Amino acid sequence: MRGGAVALVLAFAATISIAGQSQTTAKPAAAKAAPASAAAGKAYKAPRTPDGQPDLQGFWTNSTYVPLQRPNGVTKEIYTPDEAEAAIKAAAERESEQTEPGTTADVHYDFTQFGLDRSQSTFARNLRTSLIVDPADGKIPPVNAAGQKRQQERAAARKAAGGQYDAVENMPIGSRCIIMGGAGPPLMNAGYNANYQIVQAPGYVMILTEMIHDARIIPLDGRAQQPTGVKQWVGLSRGHWEGDTLVVETMNFNGKNAFQGSSDNLKVTERFTRTADDAISYRFTVEDPQTWDRPWTAEAPLAKTEGPIFEFACHETNYGIANILAGARADEKKAAEQKKGSN
Amino acid sequence: MRMTLAVAVVAAGLLTGVAQLHAHHAFAAEFDVNRPLTLKGTLVKWEMVNPHSWFHIDIKDKDGKVSTWMVEGGSPNQLIRMGVTKNTVPVGTELVVEGYQAKDGTQKAVGRNFVLADGKRLFLGGSAGGVSDPAKVK
Repeated sequence: MRGGAVALVLAFAATISIAGQSQTTAKPAAAKAAPASAAAGKAYKAPRTPDGQPDLQGFWTNSTYVPLQRPNGVTKEIYTPDEAEAAIKAAAERESEQTEPGTTADVHYDFTQFGLDRSQSTFARNLRTSLIVDPADGKIPPVNAAGQKRQQERAAARKAAGGQYDAVENMPIGSRCIIMGGAGPPLMNAGYNANYQIVQAPGYVMILTEMIHDARIIPLDGRAQQPTGVKQWVGLSRGHWEGDTLVVETMNFNGKNAFQGSSDNLKVTERFTRTADDAISYRFTVEDPQTWDRPWTAEAPLAKTEGPIFEFACHETNYGIANILAGARADEKKAAEQKKGSN
Repeated sequence: MRMTLAVAVVAAGLLTGVAQLHAHHAFAAEFDVNRPLTLKGTLVKWEMVNPHSWFHIDIKDKDGKVSTWMVEGGSPNQLIRMGVTKNTVPVGTELVVEGYQAKDGTQKAVGRNFVLADGKRLFLGGSAGGVSDPAKVK
C-alpha cells in the first residue's frame, strides 16, 4: 500500500505540472492541447459561495477519450500532448466511421447524426493513458475469490431468470430507465450526454446527472453514516471539506448497480477540487474488500460546459422496451413454428 | 458513403465496443438485422424525447395508400444544446431513411441513416464538427 500511495502522489504531481486538463469543443483534430503552467495551477484560488464554500457550481462534463483502464501495449502513464492528440483523433475517427450494412453493429442509429459522438460536444482533456492512477499499471486490481464467487452467483441467477430480453426484469437497469451506470458514484462518463450540474447551498451539495436525471443530495453537516440496512441505488453520500477539496464518502449501495462487479459493501470516496475557472479535479477511490484485495483510484477531470441540463425524461419515449419484448415473442413464435415444421 | 469492405470489417469490430459503451438498449434485440429497408416519405411528427427520438413518417405505397411508420433515432439532448429545434426538420420534410424493421414485423424501424430529398445526409447538429463528417475520415 505504501508503494501505491507514493505512486499516487507522484501521478498527481505529474498531472499538475503538465496540466492534464482543459476543455475543448469539437474538431479535436484541429484543437491544440493547451497546457496551463504549473505556476498557474498553484496560484489558482477557487471563488467562494456567499456562505464561504469553495464554489464548484455550474455545468460540467466528464466526457473523455481516456479509457478507465490503460490499453494493453501502452506502458507510459502520461502521453505527450502530441500523442494524446493522436489518440483522441483516432478514437474520434472510429466513432464516426460507418458500420457495414447487414451486420449487427449496423442495427443502430448513427451517433454522428444526433451530435452524440464525443467530438461534437465539450470533452475533458487529459494526458493520462488511463483514468486509473493507482495501481500504477492503470488497471483494475484482480478480482479476489469472494468477488469471483459472487460474479458466478450473479451469472447463475441471471441464467435462471431466463434470456435477457425475455422479460423486462431481466433487461439492463439503464434500458429500464432506472439508472445509468455512469450516474455513480463514482461519476463515470456516460458515453453521451455526460453532463452534470453542481448546486451548493448552506450545508448541502447537489449533483445532477443528465443521463436519466438523477439528483444526488449530499449533506455536509457531519451527520453520522446511516444504518447499513438502508440501501439505495446510488448509495448514501456524506460530504465534508478538507481545505478547498470537497470529500464525499458513499456507502449503503443496494448492489444492483454494481460498479465493475462490486458488492453492496462498496465504499466510494470522491474528491472534488476546483483547479481553474473551467476545470475541477475529480478523483475517486473505490474500496470493496469483498471484491478487490486493495483499494484503487482514478482521476477523471471535469471540464466546464454549457447549460442548462435538459430533462432526460427517460420513460417518456422508451418504446424500446415494449418493442424488444415484442421481438422476443416474435422470435419464440418463429422458433416454435420451425420446431413444428421439423417434426 | 460506405467504406470498402476490408476497412469496414475492422471498423465494425471497433465500433461494436464503442456502441456498447453508448447504447441505451440493445437495438439488435428490437430490430431485425435480416429486415433491412429503405423508407421514403414525409415527416408528420418528430418526438424529440428521451431516451430516443422517434420520427413518424408517412409512406405512400405503389397503390397510393398512405401508412405511418415510426423510426427510432438518438437522444435529442445534444441536438437541443446545438440549437436544433423541431423547426430544423419541420413536419412535411421529405426524408429517405435506411434502416432495419422491427423484429415483430410492425411498421417500426431504426433509422440507420437519414437522408434529405436532395441526397444530403442529414446532420441534425449542423456542420457536425471536425471528423464527424465521414467524408473527412481518412
